[in-house]
Amino acid sequence: MKNNGNGVTRRESLKIIGGAAGLMTMGLPINLGAQEPIRLGTLCPLTGAGGPYGPQMQQAIAAVVKELNDAGGIWGHPVQLFNEDSQTNPEAAVRAVHKLIDVNKVIAVMGTWASAVTMAVAPICFNNRVVEFSVSGADAISDLKDDDYIWRTQPNTFLQGEFHAKFALQKGWKRIAYMAVQTPYAKSFGDTYKKVAEAGGAKILEYLIYEADKPSYRSELTKVLATKPEHIMLMGYTPDSIAIFKELYKMGYKGGIQGPSFAINQKLVDGVGAEVAEGAYSLDPASDLQSPAFKNLTRLLGAQDVNSYAAQTYDHINLVTLSLAEGKVNTGTGIRDNLRKVANPPGTEVSGFMEGYKLIKEGKKINYQGASGACDFDDKGDILSRPFSFSQVKGGKLVVIGGIKG
Amino acid sequence: MAEYYFQYIVNGIISGGILALPAIAFSLLYGILRFANFAIGTYLTAGAFIAYAANVTLGLPIYAAFLVTMVVSGFLGVGVDQLAFRPMRKRRPLTLAIVSIAVSFILENMARFIWGNEHKSYNIPVLRGMEWGGIRIGKEQILILFIALAFMILIQALLRFTRMGKAMRAVADNAMLASVKGIDSEQVILRTSYIGAALAGTAGMMVGIDTTIDPLMGFKFVLSIFASAILGGIGSATTAVGGAFFVGLAEEVSMIWLPATYKSAIGFGMIVLVLLFRPQGLFGRNR
Amino acid sequence: MINYLIAIFTFVLIYAMLALGLNLQWGFTGLVNLGHVGFFAIGAYTSALLAKAGVPFALSLAVAILLAGFAGTLLAMTTLRLKEDFLAIVTLGFSEILRLFLLNESWLTGGANGIIDIPRPIRRLIGQHYYEIFYLLMLAAVLLLVFLFLERLRLSPYGRMLRAIREDEIVAATAGKNVFRSKVQVFTLGASLAGLAGVFYAHYLSYIAPEMFVPLVSINVWVALIAGGSGNNKGAILGAFVLMGFLESTRFVKDFIPMLSGFRLAAVREILVGLSLILIMIYKQEGVLPEEKILS
Repeated sequence: MKNNGNGVTRRESLKIIGGAAGLMTMGLPINLGAQEPIRLGTLCPLTGAGGPYGPQMQQAIAAVVKELNDAGGIWGHPVQLFNEDSQTNPEAAVRAVHKLIDVNKVIAVMGTWASAVTMAVAPICFNNRVVEFSVSGADAISDLKDDDYIWRTQPNTFLQGEFHAKFALQKGWKRIAYMAVQTPYAKSFGDTYKKVAEAGGAKILEYLIYEADKPSYRSELTKVLATKPEHIMLMGYTPDSIAIFKELYKMGYKGGIQGPSFAINQKLVDGVGAEVAEGAYSLDPASDLQSPAFKNLTRLLGAQDVNSYAAQTYDHINLVTLSLAEGKVNTGTGIRDNLRKVANPPGTEVSGFMEGYKLIKEGKKINYQGASGACDFDDKGDILSRPFSFSQVKGGKLVVIGGIKG
Repeated sequence: MAEYYFQYIVNGIISGGILALPAIAFSLLYGILRFANFAIGTYLTAGAFIAYAANVTLGLPIYAAFLVTMVVSGFLGVGVDQLAFRPMRKRRPLTLAIVSIAVSFILENMARFIWGNEHKSYNIPVLRGMEWGGIRIGKEQILILFIALAFMILIQALLRFTRMGKAMRAVADNAMLASVKGIDSEQVILRTSYIGAALAGTAGMMVGIDTTIDPLMGFKFVLSIFASAILGGIGSATTAVGGAFFVGLAEEVSMIWLPATYKSAIGFGMIVLVLLFRPQGLFGRNR
Repeated sequence: MINYLIAIFTFVLIYAMLALGLNLQWGFTGLVNLGHVGFFAIGAYTSALLAKAGVPFALSLAVAILLAGFAGTLLAMTTLRLKEDFLAIVTLGFSEILRLFLLNESWLTGGANGIIDIPRPIRRLIGQHYYEIFYLLMLAAVLLLVFLFLERLRLSPYGRMLRAIREDEIVAATAGKNVFRSKVQVFTLGASLAGLAGVFYAHYLSYIAPEMFVPLVSINVWVALIAGGSGNNKGAILGAFVLMGFLESTRFVKDFIPMLSGFRLAAVREILVGLSLILIMIYKQEGVLPEEKILS
């Protein structure tokens, strides 16, 4: 290797040029004198069933990366972000993750949405010592033998089911029907909800799991309404929830509806109209709307309506970058080993990378509190708890009416 | 108690009404062009989006959007025919069916490119439905049934009393004989493509009113449309309606006993049974 | 980069196996099977469930192939007499009803959760570092055997008879050949191959779920056959490469076209695939779908 006289070898200059070229294609400013970039990957559902959520999920991550790169990177290293589309398709996601890991050499994969996608790419991630962060809900994910490389910010269904049921009991509803779209967690959520609700004195009059993507749910609703419920627990996605809300309204249903915030959100309200959505309850186990982190995210995204999955991916990137900063490492294993240090208490509470990094540089211990909750993890890589905020649709807008700090 | 079961029948009639127009369209197209046009679902989607563009983007009132949809959707059908199917007139039905699948990919993704994946709605309020003796039905749904009925009558009249209609029936019956009698089959094809896509597009707008609008909406109907046309006796626009109501009823009424997660199996099951045991359809005559 | 290519090639070979099976069905029986993914699913699920229950790989493989073949026999016997575009719809129905069964009967199949931790054959022996390439080589060896077998079949007396049936059924029938039975046999063989592909798929990914066995997969295999052209076995394998080219086409391109957002880029890719398919169909006069002799 020729040393061209000013101390920089050809290999190093090539690395710098390569890194700079890479940065240029990302549109990021070049950090002259930068060292090895930190490569991170996103695998959000930009198309397919998760398509409505994916773009914003990726955007949230990109916004944090841009901010930190503009400020000089992590210990002087710029972050290079590689984005792939999971297509909400496990096979396509497997090919995509191979590209991210084998070609782009990322040390973290963030933003997997569908449970099937998360589970399909998990072995590839942990076999390559790459951490994976997902927003998926299926319980099987907790059971993966993943050597602590697989993490998620979505609470499992037992926690969710319990909270939804407790909310219903708190409201005094006694005659409840459960409807859910066919997903890996429809049954586990429903069973928990039913158990807790019935233990509290309510009755689940109808337990109906329906097919996704059907053009109408008239007869499914006929069956449910025949039991004359005063309240419906609707565990669906936004598309089918919109269809069901409209149909219930047309069928003259005047009872209450309760659902998760990834379905009952402003998009649903806009889609069905203020009057149809009026009074519906949205339980938010995955966004802490009052938190400084959420406010920071809203600022970064330009105050568009933030979906609950984007709140989680915002947390993914912050957790990853803070772990890297804390451990002064550039590997997936390093992220894994430092994650609980920055995520779990004790420590000064921070709500974003910039804030946390400042404290890390001063040698202080931090406790990241995210936009989707406290982000404290158990030994399986699941979150321990999360705050719940209860919102209700009033006059065409979702209004926070209460909450439980998890 | 009886009204509980009757409600399912009402639901089935509504579903049948929605299916009737695309089923007629599919059968018309099949009769003239002699292949299963998988793109029928995307004509439906396209109609819904055209109405969206008119109503929400351009701000036209809903009935104006309706007229726009009817007129513009037809041109889409003509365009697709001239670009994709015309070079293949002499080819076997399978080839054309595969091409129609490719066309449906293209149209669906064009919609996705322009409007994205999210579900949209028109600028109209959702109305409270009506209730008669325990039976519930939505006001929009009654409107949809009326519109479907009106079009069914119109198409019947077209086929029976107009020269174009007679020409269409002649070509559907026996293309060679029709050309011997001086009927220009290309003209008939153009007109049928227009009408077929216009019908499907109108149905699309109605579905959009009933539920939501998204790039995949038509695809969800393709199965039921096929079933309706096949049950009705493929190639016959009149009996396609019978098939549509039959399918609609079967899908909704079966929900009384069947788990909701097997709804799609109904459509397929019926197709399989009919094709195996009575390929001319329930109402069709032996070809 | 190497590992990425190994992964891609593994998928290509699995699709090649699927294409060979479909080509067998199409090429020799003229049967339009839009439900090929159904046999793929039967192979995958059977082997996965058996392997998780402790059955050794060789045995689970054998049972899976037999079951897929059996399903093929049933489907062929019930549908062979239908008109070709209706046949397509019925086979599609078969694969969709199967998928609903896999999705809903979670007591057996795990339902929407799918099956995780499917054991990989002789994993412990090979160790992690070289396993991917070992699996690819094993798959390649099996595919080669299948290919050679199919070529022998094509050139054998049996194969000549099959070709005679395809060329002119009526003549073959009058010559005393049992056309129907031969068609069922060949269809069964094609279904078994799809089942074999399914076994390799399940054990490669260690995870399967019903949503991976949708009609789009069947259509992709058809695209492979059509793109590979010529309707012969080599064409089927070539087509699998072309298909993967289509599917992966935008992946590296997009790093240079940042202005198109994710879903738009995917939409463009799908549109281009659709256009390519149409153009191939328009301009390829000979080849995969030769025009039928019209007899009536």
